[in-house]
Amino acid sequence: MKNLVKAVMLGALAATAMSGLAEAKGKTIAVSWKTFQEERWKGDEATIKAVVEAAGDKYISADAQGSAQKQAADIEGLIAQKPDVIMVVAFDSDAILPSIKKISDAGIKSIAYDVQFEDPKALYITFDNVGVGRIMAKEILKAKPEGNYAFIKGDKGDPNATFLFQGQMEVLGAAIKAGKIKNVCETFTDGWKPDNAQKNMEQCLTSTKNKVDAVVSENDGMASGVVAALKAQGLAGKVPVSGQDGDLAAINRVALGTQTVSVWKDTAQLGKTAAEAAIAMAEGTAMDKIAGVAKFNGGKKKVEMNTILLAPTPITVANIGDAIKAGHITKDQACAGTKDVAACK
Amino acid sequence: MPRIKFSEATLSTPSPASQTPALEHESVVTKFFRATEIDARMLGMIAALLLVWAIFDVWSGIISHDDGLLGGAFLTPRNLWTLLVQTSSIAVMSTGMVLLIVMRQIDLSVGSMLSLIAVGTAVLQVYQLAPALGVGHPAIWVLGVAACLALGTLIGAFNGFLVAYAKIPAFIVTLGGLIAYSGIAFLLAKGETVAPMDQTFEVFGGGIQASWLGPFWSWILAAAACCTIAYAVVNGRRQRIRFNFPLRPVWAEAFLIAIGSFAVLGTTWVMNSYPWPQGVMEDYAKTHNLVIPAGVENRDGSAICMAGEQVVHCLNGLMHYTGFSLPALIAIGVCLGMTFIATRTSFGRYVYATGGNPEAAELAGINTKWLTVKVFALMGFLVGVSSIISSARLNAATNALGQTNELYVIAATVIGGTSLAGGVGTIYGAMIGALVMQSIVSGMSLLNLPAASQNMVVGGVLVLAVYLDQQYRRRLK
Repeated sequence: MKNLVKAVMLGALAATAMSGLAEAKGKTIAVSWKTFQEERWKGDEATIKAVVEAAGDKYISADAQGSAQKQAADIEGLIAQKPDVIMVVAFDSDAILPSIKKISDAGIKSIAYDVQFEDPKALYITFDNVGVGRIMAKEILKAKPEGNYAFIKGDKGDPNATFLFQGQMEVLGAAIKAGKIKNVCETFTDGWKPDNAQKNMEQCLTSTKNKVDAVVSENDGMASGVVAALKAQGLAGKVPVSGQDGDLAAINRVALGTQTVSVWKDTAQLGKTAAEAAIAMAEGTAMDKIAGVAKFNGGKKKVEMNTILLAPTPITVANIGDAIKAGHITKDQACAGTKDVAACK
Repeated sequence: MPRIKFSEATLSTPSPASQTPALEHESVVTKFFRATEIDARMLGMIAALLLVWAIFDVWSGIISHDDGLLGGAFLTPRNLWTLLVQTSSIAVMSTGMVLLIVMRQIDLSVGSMLSLIAVGTAVLQVYQLAPALGVGHPAIWVLGVAACLALGTLIGAFNGFLVAYAKIPAFIVTLGGLIAYSGIAFLLAKGETVAPMDQTFEVFGGGIQASWLGPFWSWILAAAACCTIAYAVVNGRRQRIRFNFPLRPVWAEAFLIAIGSFAVLGTTWVMNSYPWPQGVMEDYAKTHNLVIPAGVENRDGSAICMAGEQVVHCLNGLMHYTGFSLPALIAIGVCLGMTFIATRTSFGRYVYATGGNPEAAELAGINTKWLTVKVFALMGFLVGVSSIISSARLNAATNALGQTNELYVIAATVIGGTSLAGGVGTIYGAMIGALVMQSIVSGMSLLNLPAASQNMVVGGVLVLAVYLDQQYRRRLK
């Protein structure tokens, strides 16, 4: 064991010493994190580190602790260590741009990880956020091709709430026009709060006299409120409900049959894709030759960038097993209270 | 313990008006209020509430006709029943806020406290107790409830301790709490939703059939309440005679019993007119092996029957009525209990005395510091009660639960006539205030109006209510 540690350390030292030289084998991938305050980023880091080290490359990082200024200093520090690629989770997508310029001036390649900054020289890797709305609508449409639909939207101040709704309308628009689907309730939910969603759903059920056939809720938290409101009317499990985030409680509801789908962005998948792209770039692969790269200009300033848009995974009764296998949720958590689903047997 | 009497004006009985001899030329209205000792402000609030209800019923009726009293969807048993459940959590907390504000304190942290308690005890229930004892073990809900109440009291007392003994202003202590407690709630569950709650625990939320009292027990309870009202009036009269206090005319006493009983019976009748939702009735029939009779389909019927293989709505068939829901009963119980504490105990009188004049109260021998801790602890306890209702109702706990509730609680208290200057405020006022606010939010949501305009109207009503209240008080002087 000790020897192994020594070997790794020696290897690391060697890599550091030679990283500037062309003949060096091990590449160095650096990541500038915006924060570790939220649980998920630690998971992202573990994935990236594992992939990078498995390829025999070196991983270095810095944590900006939620400060744009510290992130600028962090990136200067990382540049000084001469890595091949710097991945950046930008705290502020505008304030980061001078630092990105410094990276490219130093001849280092950059990746915008999950948070977009608009620099045409960088590779942008994220989930297809408009697609989440489409997937929700598709799954609900599959379960209820026609009838009265209720739309529980997120906070009115969050542009995501509107993007999601746009995605939903792309899928449902035709059926609404044809009169197959009727939009009976459509409300924003203050602060994405589940208890507000519950009250809105209760009022929707009252005003329609329970004639609601499907509910498109924009996330899992609000779906919990929607399901509680439906349950009080004895409708839970009879009316399809959507959500997103892959909340553990939501996956359990999918198993129980009270929620139809939870659209899940598997951050491990995001980390793995980004790490692999970084390694490829470090080895000199041109950006547009990396698998999955396409042009994207949907940002604020409409800058065209090479982008990998990952498709989120809809978790339904059919694939709960995948979420369990991916280690996102334990079988006990997913299957609490039910054994009817294949993955729970 | 020394019993001190402070300015009687701030205490509820006997009102000074009844002590002055009747004026010869007073109007019928004034005479009526003097004789019955009914608070004109309360009447004003109830009138405002009824006006709000009427507007929403007419408005929703214009959009689509429904079977409400005025042709809309608002004044239906179903909506009023839901309204009571939706109001209960805020109403419970606002009763505690009355005492705090009366004492010239404030608690801005109740919303965050609610999320902390809800998330903390949900983690205990779902991640600790359920795996250890087995899902559905009866000890889970008992421990869950006990933990909510204990944790609430503890956090409240901690707030109070910082205010009273560390001498940090309540605004700052609880502003810190507002920020800090929601942070702890986030960390406890790592930002995730904790669900589902224990099945018995869910009863406190009113969302399942087990938490509906049913018409029979609702009527029994109503009858008991009417008897209590009659007894309270008669007993009050006896006490007044004993201490030689001025009496209400007999007709006024009778009127009070009549109007009180009418309100109780009317509410009970409305609650008992809300039938079980069709889905619940159907599930109940299945699990209890009840035969669903054959019948004729009728979309407006509330009962269920079989039309061939299908379960349909029909006019007469299988049906049950809900009666009172547990959360509504808890809120009503808390209102009665807190009214008793505020007006009939030395603790309550000390609170009003301290709010009226803190220096005088302290000089008179009231331990105001310890009293402050107790009032904050009581507030915390009530937040615990609300957290039980909220998390049981949602059947889940998240750190978003309860956020910004402090604003609604304070607004309900203030709309209900509690003065931020201290010394003045009633429990029932806060309850009506909470009901007014929730009526506006629910009504606008029923009309499918956007959330932004709901906030706008609620904010406007808050300011308007305080303005009207001040005008009223000025005239009184």
